[in-house]
Order: sequence, then C-alpha cells, then structure tokens
Amino acid sequence: MTEIDSLRPVAAVLVSLVAIAPILASHARPNVREAWTMLAAGATFAVVASMVPGVLDGHTYVTDFGTFVPEVSFALRADALGILFALLASTLWVVTSLYSIGYMRGLDEHDQTRYFAAFAGSVASAIGVAFAHNLVVLYVFYELLTVATYPLVAHDETDEARAAGRKYLAYTFGGGVAVLAGILLVFLSTGTTDFTAGGISALANADPAIARGAFGLLVAGFGVKAALMPMHSWLPDAMVAPTPVSGLLHAVAVVKSGVFGIARVVLDVFGPDLVGDLGMGLPLAAVAAFTLVVSSIIALRQDNLKRRLAFSTVSQLSYIVLGLAILHPFALIGGLLHIPAHAFMKLTLFFCAGAIHVETHTDDISDMAGIGKRMPLTMGAFAVAAAGMAGIPIVAGFVSKYFLLIGTVSAGQVVFTGALLLSGVLNIAYFWPIVYAAFFESRGDEDEKPLLESPLGGRFASDARADGGETQSNSDHGHGHTGPWERRAPTGAESTWFMLFPILFAASGSIVLGVVPDAAVFLRIVRLIVSGATGVSV
Amino acid sequence: MDVLATRYYYLVTFVVLGLGAYMMIANRNIVKKIIGMNVFQTGIFLFFIAAAYLDGANPPVLTAEPPYVSPLPHVLILTAIVVGVSLTAVALGLVVRIYAEYGTLDAELIREVRHDE
Amino acid sequence: MSDLVPIAVAVPIFASVVALLAGLVRRKTGWHVAVAGSVVHVGIALELARRALFDETVRYVVGGFTSPYGIELVVDGLSATILVLVAVVSLGVLGYARVAGPRSNAFYAAYLLLTAGLTGLSVTGDLFNMYVFLEITGLAAYVLVATGEGGRSAVAALRYLFIGTVGASLFLLGLGYAYIATGTLNMVHLSELLAEVGHTTTLVQTAFAFIVVGLFIKVAIFPLHTWQPEAYASSPDSVSALISALVSTVSAYAFVRVVYTVFTADFLAANPLARDFLLVAAAVSIVAGSALAVAQSEVKRMLAYSSVAQFGLIVAAVSLVSETAMVGAVVHLVGHGLMKGGLFLAAGIVATATGARTVADYDGLADRMPVGAGAFGVLALAMVGVPPAVGFVGKWYIALGAVESEAWGLTVVIVASTLLTLAYFARLVERMFFREAPEVVADGADATAEGTVTPAAADGGDESPPTGRVTLGMYALVVTAAILSVALGAGVVGYEQLIESTVTSLLS
Repeated sequence: MTEIDSLRPVAAVLVSLVAIAPILASHARPNVREAWTMLAAGATFAVVASMVPGVLDGHTYVTDFGTFVPEVSFALRADALGILFALLASTLWVVTSLYSIGYMRGLDEHDQTRYFAAFAGSVASAIGVAFAHNLVVLYVFYELLTVATYPLVAHDETDEARAAGRKYLAYTFGGGVAVLAGILLVFLSTGTTDFTAGGISALANADPAIARGAFGLLVAGFGVKAALMPMHSWLPDAMVAPTPVSGLLHAVAVVKSGVFGIARVVLDVFGPDLVGDLGMGLPLAAVAAFTLVVSSIIALRQDNLKRRLAFSTVSQLSYIVLGLAILHPFALIGGLLHIPAHAFMKLTLFFCAGAIHVETHTDDISDMAGIGKRMPLTMGAFAVAAAGMAGIPIVAGFVSKYFLLIGTVSAGQVVFTGALLLSGVLNIAYFWPIVYAAFFESRGDEDEKPLLESPLGGRFASDARADGGETQSNSDHGHGHTGPWERRAPTGAESTWFMLFPILFAASGSIVLGVVPDAAVFLRIVRLIVSGATGVSV
Repeated sequence: MDVLATRYYYLVTFVVLGLGAYMMIANRNIVKKIIGMNVFQTGIFLFFIAAAYLDGANPPVLTAEPPYVSPLPHVLILTAIVVGVSLTAVALGLVVRIYAEYGTLDAELIREVRHDE
Repeated sequence: MSDLVPIAVAVPIFASVVALLAGLVRRKTGWHVAVAGSVVHVGIALELARRALFDETVRYVVGGFTSPYGIELVVDGLSATILVLVAVVSLGVLGYARVAGPRSNAFYAAYLLLTAGLTGLSVTGDLFNMYVFLEITGLAAYVLVATGEGGRSAVAALRYLFIGTVGASLFLLGLGYAYIATGTLNMVHLSELLAEVGHTTTLVQTAFAFIVVGLFIKVAIFPLHTWQPEAYASSPDSVSALISALVSTVSAYAFVRVVYTVFTADFLAANPLARDFLLVAAAVSIVAGSALAVAQSEVKRMLAYSSVAQFGLIVAAVSLVSETAMVGAVVHLVGHGLMKGGLFLAAGIVATATGARTVADYDGLADRMPVGAGAFGVLALAMVGVPPAVGFVGKWYIALGAVESEAWGLTVVIVASTLLTLAYFARLVERMFFREAPEVVADGADATAEGTVTPAAADGGDESPPTGRVTLGMYALVVTAAILSVALGAGVVGYEQLIESTVTSLLS
C-alpha cells in the first residue's frame, strides 16, 4: 500500500470544473459547447481510468494542498473506494453527455448552456466527493454537489420544478447540517477526520455516546441524499428534471454520493468492527430494509414512469445501505458492487424513459401499450435492465444481490434475507407490467395494468392516472400518442443514435457486469475495498 | 441611607437620564426628542463631574493649593460636550430636512405619511 | 517609525478637509481627493498590518505622554486586520460611488470622516478615545445615511442618530464606572486595575453591562437593532454597502477589545452569568435576525436583517472564550464585511440597472443581467456557508470552538444557522434564476428593465436608463467581491498562524 504523490486526483476534478468556463463562453454556438462537454467528459474519464491499474496494485494517488482548517488538510486521494465511485461517475458521464445532446436538442429545451455547465459542475463535485481525503473535504464537495445540481432540478422553471428545487435544497442542506455536526463530533473526539481503511482507531476509545451520536448524525445526513426513508421524498419530486439529470445524477452521482458517504463512514471512519461494537449496524440495516420494501410497494402505485423509476431507485439504494449495515464481508461486497450494477441498470431505464418521452411524448405507463413496436431497441434494453433490477441472472443485479443474500445468511440475519427476497418479487411486480404492455399488448386492447389505485395512504396515488390514462405533463411538448404505434425496425430508426448508443451501451454494460463480473474491473475494486476495510480476503 | 445623603448627585444623575430617555421615547415632536437626547447626555456629564468632585478641594490650576479635584473627568466631559453639540447640530439639520419634506415635526404623522407613500 | 499609526487616522481626516476646501475652488475635485486619500490610507494600513502581523505589535503614544497617562494607539494582529479591511473596503466602495453617487463634495468629506473614525476605533488603546471615535463614526454615518433622496433617509438617519447616541452614551456611562473604579482609561492599565478591584464587584459589573449594551446597539444585536434595517435600506447603495461592511464590523471589533483587552477572559470566568447572557443574546440574535430576514420584501432590508443574524454569530464566537472560536470570529468579521458589502453593491447594481428593489422584482433577473445575478448568487451562497467559501471557514472555526467548549445548545444554533441563512437567500436565488421576468412593465421604476439586457451595454451606454448607469468598473467591483469571498477561504490557515499570537495573548 503505497501513496503516490500525483496531480491526477485533482486533475480529475478540475477538468470538468474548468470546462464550465468554455461551455458558458460558447453559449452562442451549441456545437462547440457540446464539443467542450464531450472533451471534458472524455478527459475526466481518461484521467480516472489511468489511475485504475495503480489502485488495483494497491497504490493510492494523493494530491495534498496543505492545511485547509487546522489539523485538516485539503487533500484529494484516490483509493479503491474513491476510484470505484469516480470511475463509475466519469464513465457514465461520457454516455450521458451524448445522450443529453440528443435529449435536449430533441426537445429543443431552453437554457441548454446553463444545463451543460451545471452538469459539468455536478460531475466535478461528484468526483471530488469520491476523492476526498477526509470528512471535511468530502463535506465541501458534498455541499457543492447540492449547489451544482439545484439548477438542474429547477431547470423547467415551472412552479412544480421550483417547488422540487426548494424541497431538494431544504432536504439536502438539512442533511448537510447534520453531516457537519457529525464531523465536528468526530473531530472533537479524535482530532482527525482523515479516512483510514478499517476506521479511525482513536474513535474506538472515544465516549461511546458521542461516537453513536456522530454516527447517527453522519448517517442521517448522508442518508438524505441516499434517500433513506423517511428522508426520501425529495427524490421522486426531483424527477421533474430533464431525464439525463434523473439518470446520471438522481440515479448515480448525487444519490450515490450519499451512499458513498455512508460507505466512507462505515468503512473508513468508524470501521465495520466499531460500528458493530457500537450496535449501530442493526438499526441502520432495519431502516434500509424498511425502505427497500416499502418503496418497492410505493413504486407499484406510480403510473408516471419516471416516478416509478425514482421509487425503484429509493429501494435499490437501500440494498447498498443494507449491504453496508450488515457488516459481513460478503454483504459489503454485495452492497458496494450494487453501486455500479444499479448505476448501469438504472441509467438504462432512465435513458429509455427519456427516449420514449422525446420520441412519443409519453410519460405514463398506462399509455405505453404496444410501444415495443415503435421503439424495439429501446424497450429491449429496458427489458434487460428491468430483469437485472429484479435480480435475474446474467444481468448485473444478480451478482450483487447474490452476494447480499449470501452475506445476510452468513451473518445469520435471515430477516433481512427475507426482506431482500420480498423486494425482489416486488421488483418483478412493478417492472413486468411495463415490459409486458410494451411487447405483448397493442393500443386499444390493453388489459388493466396491476396498478394499485385504491389508496393505501392515498397520498402517493394522487397523481397516478388522475385523468384516466391521458398523458398529463406533456402539454408543452405536443400531444400524447393515441392511435396505434407505427412499427419501426430495430435498426435505429426509432430514435437518434445520440440516444440509442448510450442506451445500448448502458444495457450491455449491465450484462457484462452480470456475466463476467470478475473481468469487469468493478468487482476487483470492490474486493480490494472490502479486504482493506475488514482484513478478510474475499 | 448614608450613601444616599452623601451621594445624592448620583441619584440626580439617573433621574436626569431617565427624564431624557423618557422624552426621547414618548415625545411625538422630534425637536423635543432632540432636547430629550441632550438632557440624557447631560445626565452623563453630571455623573462624570460629580465623580471628580472632592470635598474641600480646589480647581486643578497651579496657583491654587492642593488638594485638587480630579482634572481628567473635566477634560473628558469637555470633549463629550463638543461631541454632543455636533450631534445636536446634525440632528437639527435632519429635522430641517424632514420638515421641508413632510411639513410636520410630529413623528406619528410622519410615520403615517410614509406609510401612505 | 510608529508615527504611521496616528498618520493612518490623520490621512482620511486631512483628505476630508481637503475635499471640502478644494470643492470650494473647483467643484468636481472631491472624488479625486478622496481616492488619493484612500490610496495613501490603504498603503499605510498594509504597511502597519505587515509590521503587526509579521513583526510585533506597533505602539504609539500621542503627544509624548507616556502610558498609562497619555493616549496610546496600538496595532496588533487583530486591529491590523480590521484596519486593512476598513481601508480596502473604503477604497473599493469609493470606486463604486464615482458613478453611482452621491457625488457632492460634502458626501466625500463625510465619507472620509467615517473612514477616519473607523480607523481610529481600530487602533486606539484608550477607552475614552474609543468613545470619541465611536461618536465620530456615528456622526459621519448619520450624515451619510441622510445623503439618500427624499424624506425617508432623513427619518432613518434621525432614528439612527437617536438610537446610536443612546448606545454611545451608555458606553460613556459604563466607561465612567470603570474610571471611577480604577482612575485610568488606558485599556491595558485598566485591565490590570480592574482585576485588582475585583471582577465580581458591582462597580465593575455595572461598567461591563453598560458598555456591552452600548456596543450591542452599535453592532445591532437583536433586539437593539431597530435603527439598522431602515438605515441600510434608505441610504444610497454605496453608503449602505460601506456601512454594512464596516460600521457594525468595527463596532464588533470594539466589543472584542472591550471584552478581552479591558475586562479580560478572567472577568467572564468570574461572572458566568455575564457570559451566559452574551451567549443567549447572540443565539437569539441569530434566530430572530434570520426569521425577520425571511419576512422582508425589500432586498436591502433583508440583507440588513441578515447582518443582525450574522453578528449574532460573531458575538457568540467572541463570548465562547475559545481561541478557535475567536479566530472564527475574526475570519467571519472580515468575511462578512466583504460578502455583505458585495451583496449591497450587487443589489445596488441591480437596482440601478433594472429598478428592482423588492424580492418580487428579482424574478428572472439572471436573464436580464447575468453577471449581476451570478455575482449575487455566489455571494449569497458564500454567506450561507457553502464550502469552501470564506463564510464556511469562519463558521467551521466558530462551530468547532463551540463544540470544544461543549456549548451544545449554541452549537445547534450555529450549525442550523446555515439553514436559516439559506431560508432567506434561497428564495432570492430561485427567483433570479428560475422565474421568468415579468412581461408587462409594472410601473415607472421598472420601465428600464429592458434597457440593460446585457452587462455589455453598460460601457456602451447609448441608452442609459433614467435610474442610472452601471459601469464596467462597478461590475468588476462586485465580481471581485464574489471571487474574494470564495478565494479567501483558502487563505485562512496561513492567516491563522499570523494572528495566533494575538489571539492567544487576547484570551490569556
């Protein structure tokens, strides 16, 4: 385990940050502007990828700028966990940028310059989160991420979007406050906030009450972005954002920065052993299990495709948190591996939803009967990713969920095994109707989909099918499709390749992760993280 | 009681202070408010001068015999008086402007006019 | 060589007189004289700061009367910091005032007098001298507030004058008690004698109470802030920027001086009730100031109430008697001065270019003037305490100090103040960037909204709107403030090492 002084971690952050300037400057020339975005995305990916082999050999890359506040240095450090998140974010940024071009131009959206600039800022912050060397630096980028994504959430400038933006700010800054308080407690009791594999040793000697308080505050704070219940409600609302944002940020970068924060806290601040000794693993696991079951049920009740996907995200994120909270090495592997697995699959799903929206202006599941004819490739990819979400083998979700199940069983916590299985069933229950309707039904003769309309709590169903199946939120984009879908060949005639390529890339990514997880670099990184944190070679 | 009898000027100080403060707050006429402010300050001047007083002492000039009363508070208050005069001048200047603008010196009326603007 | 200290005070006074006299000969000389004076002033301030921060405390005894009898001027790390802030901000705002006005020679004279008063406040080592400078500052500030148009500013200035005078008078009264107790007015000498008299004697306690309440009025701590919002809101933009950035800041500095140099940390240790009182007052000020800020519809009033809350934060930091928190207080004093001054200037630019003065007017501002809105947004976020801006660093130190002192309740307030600040800035940011500008021009003031669509039109100036002209220089100033508010955060650690010895000696 050697530390290498390198400018590469900071370069990864700066490339996309600096790109904001030319993006803003070339606002009058969209092609140039998008070229800058692609250039930045490619460069960021290249820088991050160049560190992967070194990290796999057990090195870490460190850029240290010296002290930021007393005893806390402003340093960026690419270790295994950081590279996992950064590699994921930067890889997917490349395809999402392509997709954004197709999406934003396809809809002729306003303020595209602001959109691309904020996107670059968000990715820069996310990579900063990944490479943060200590809690304070993590907090810095965590807050910047909030600021950078806010313009994207409120992008539509409708009342709904503004309300979502307000809610988003309130929730995430509220979480940030809790994180800050937690950091102060950690700093007070140990005098450091540096991440150490296996936990900061001085924390074990700290007052257990303060340690528990710090853990609670940190996890609650990061849990806001990780959409743990009951702090999840900003996420479905944030779906008013353009779909690429929902895809990359609200299924990958932002929400995973919360999960990543929890992973850092569990693995590198407290350490799995101390978390177990403090008795904090079980409550966290319970919250996660509750979230993953309940949000799956809520997802059943959403008719708007993006909202259904959002609740699916809430649920899937809790898989990761559950894996972290079980504290067993296998569960840790499962949880961490689910970070990239879920990212690829959910990105596919969101890309599909966006492509459907751009091409047909359809947002509601009840309008999608037979849409498989119109968009065969898209819906094919959707089916693959949905199967992966449910944990069906060959797709990425299977591997991570398999590890999670093994982990819960090995840890002897069969209750959580049950929760995972139940949620798997629910996953099928809310994804299958979409796939079924798309391929095996046609407009006019569709069955009533198993969408739960009777109010379980009433609240969540408020916007589902309120208007009897007519599309609701596309009034400014044209009219919903009512006649039968025309048939288009699965050769790319259904949409632009700007959107199709990212969809196919993400879908095949999910399959590669599922078929040969060892060959795909992510599992190796995850194994490295877990053995570093627990000392157990897995 | 002994303290009251010998240090009654401190009591007077605070009576004057109270009077001035009351006038500043309760009076509707802004010129009288300024007078109140002056009374308030005078209370403080009195406080200082009284503190400097020594029974049977002479003024602190070289030709007089010791003991002297403390000269420093006198100097300080001289400065404070100058400050007070400047304040009053500025305040009166403002009053002239306010009167030109609103045609009244009544603070309540001014507030009403402002409210309607 | 320490002659520089009195010269630092004398230069602005001298320039003030020159500005007035030269104005009698040629009318349009005031600004040039003021700038010349301010540049010299900045130079002196920087030199003094260099000496105080890198060498040792600079002392000067006025008129050759040795301490403790004569008036002593002292520049240590803390006063040097404030001195530089005063000098730099004065010069900056002067640049803004060139076009934005007010442009009378009397204005420049009062402006320089204010600078002189603030300089004096930051360097004096004598309690009565501090009172005099407090009043000079006050007088100049009243006059400056009154330079606004119409009756509103005159009424606000008179109100400011009444309340400010009461504050200064209470300060004088407390000073009298301290003098009666000790027979001296030199701060260092006072601190020794006060300790001899006993920190728990009624006389000393009364002196402390009067002085603190007097300064609270000057700093505008809730509920003694009532002069402040109207004074800030009704004065011309350049004046509100100057006053908001400096007057309360320097008064807060005076508060630090009085509490630590005169009464010392031992006094607070001996009187836990006094310390608790300060902490509670600070916490209340944070919460109440923020709540009132949310309720405001006028942007400048909102910013003014924001100051009430932020100074609550500073007073809290000072009262914790913790070195970490003290550094935080100084950082936040400087940072707040820059950010708030920048915000007022940005609000001024917006009002000049578009006539927008209320929160509702800010709808869609980003489309009308992207640079102004952008700078405003950055400054607002820095004020909220989004890292790594200076607003965050100050807050971090203060919160750390609170945690170290195990003042849990206060920690909660301090940490939550981020959210409170967000509450009033977020709605403005949202309006600026995510709402459409009103299509129909509402009234006369908004009639110019279309006139300055781009900031580039500012230097073209072919169709300058009646509300005024925004020059490139004004933009540059606001953008500089925004950049500084972010960049200074990185320099805090280096600065902390410079000021460490000052803070240590202050708290010992």
